[in-house]
Amino acid sequence: MAPAETHIDRGPLDREGIFALIRDELADILEIDPAAIAESSSFEDLKADSLALIELVEALEEELGERTVGFRIEDEDLEDLRTVRDAVDYVAAKLQVG
Amino acid sequence: MNAPLPVAVDAMGGDRAPADVVAGARRAAEEGLRVVLVGPPEQIGDTAGIELVACREVIGMGEDPAGAVRRKKDSSLVRAAELVRDHKAAAMVSAGNTGATMAAALLRMGRLRGAIRPCIAIPLPRRGAEPAVLVDAGANAECTPQMLVQFAQMGAAYAIERYRIANPTVALLSIGEEASKGTTLVKETSELLRAGVPGVRFVGNVEGRDLLGCPADVVVTDGFTGNVALKTAEGTLRYAGRLLAEVFDHDEQTKAAAAVLAPHLTPVLARLDPENTGGAMLLGVRGICVISHGSSSSVAIANAIRVAHDLAARGLVDRLGAAL
Repeated sequence: MAPAETHIDRGPLDREGIFALIRDELADILEIDPAAIAESSSFEDLKADSLALIELVEALEEELGERTVGFRIEDEDLEDLRTVRDAVDYVAAKLQVG
Repeated sequence: MNAPLPVAVDAMGGDRAPADVVAGARRAAEEGLRVVLVGPPEQIGDTAGIELVACREVIGMGEDPAGAVRRKKDSSLVRAAELVRDHKAAAMVSAGNTGATMAAALLRMGRLRGAIRPCIAIPLPRRGAEPAVLVDAGANAECTPQMLVQFAQMGAAYAIERYRIANPTVALLSIGEEASKGTTLVKETSELLRAGVPGVRFVGNVEGRDLLGCPADVVVTDGFTGNVALKTAEGTLRYAGRLLAEVFDHDEQTKAAAAVLAPHLTPVLARLDPENTGGAMLLGVRGICVISHGSSSSVAIANAIRVAHDLAARGLVDRLGAAL
């Protein structure tokens, strides 16, 4: 088996890419159509409970951790994330994307 | 034909870890079952030839489950779940922190497609018959009717695979047999089940007093109630056992009576002993996860490994997926 790669060159991730990543991961977790998720969507409206958000965080850390070693979303920050836009802004800030 | 995959055992889970866990793994290995232990080598010591997957961290019994799984990515629980996820193990067994075991299974193996939430299934002893299944025994304190319907579907599929019950009957746990009895959750779930759910042969409500020696093959309830019921049954049996022991120990006459009864009581009591049940099963994740009692001895661990192997061979996860 090939060793895990820690720096996979997938090109820079812009804000749109971050939204697409979050949207697709969330759609997979909630088993809904990605088209049903907009930046303005609230997690409550999407029926994404605390467990679903932890699943989302884990998925993002796994995906983004391969691009940026040490990428992590702090558990205490989760409470402040109410909408998809909040999550996109948070990740963008962590990745220092404009 | 490829050799079956091993069962990954959390070597650090439970009150008697790692010694009894290693001993249980050894027992299972001596029966020809493939086992791999997961844990920090310096804490486990000699594994008597059983393969060890090394890790550096351990999640303690009192730690916050989801937080611990997120913080301790190199813990024995998380690594065991990853072995199942990565198809390097057929199943995982842990006698450790139940909440963390569920979180590790959920976050690493992933949720079964279509499952709203995973649930815990436990056996309810029945005289002269295979155990009944209680689900949910503690994974979800708050439930919706849709969740309970899924627990019924998964519980029925589990009863078929685990206990070879051909067409299991399913009942709802309530405070009366009448459909009008119970909480809003129970009544709404009853309505859904009575309307007909594929794979669920719904026979109505049962009460708490029906759980031991249950007339239904599967009993469905929310995790809070299920856990209270489970602990009540365990405590009641333990208390009754102590009362009986006191009577038997009373004087020479009762001791002599005990000696006559002992060979008859032993197999009966063995069926009630959590050591012999093979553990609880987490239903609704993409892998087999056996949750062994926290006080599991090597006997219980070996039993859990045996059950894990059996259910992996029977394709339990595919059956659960098909049931939803």
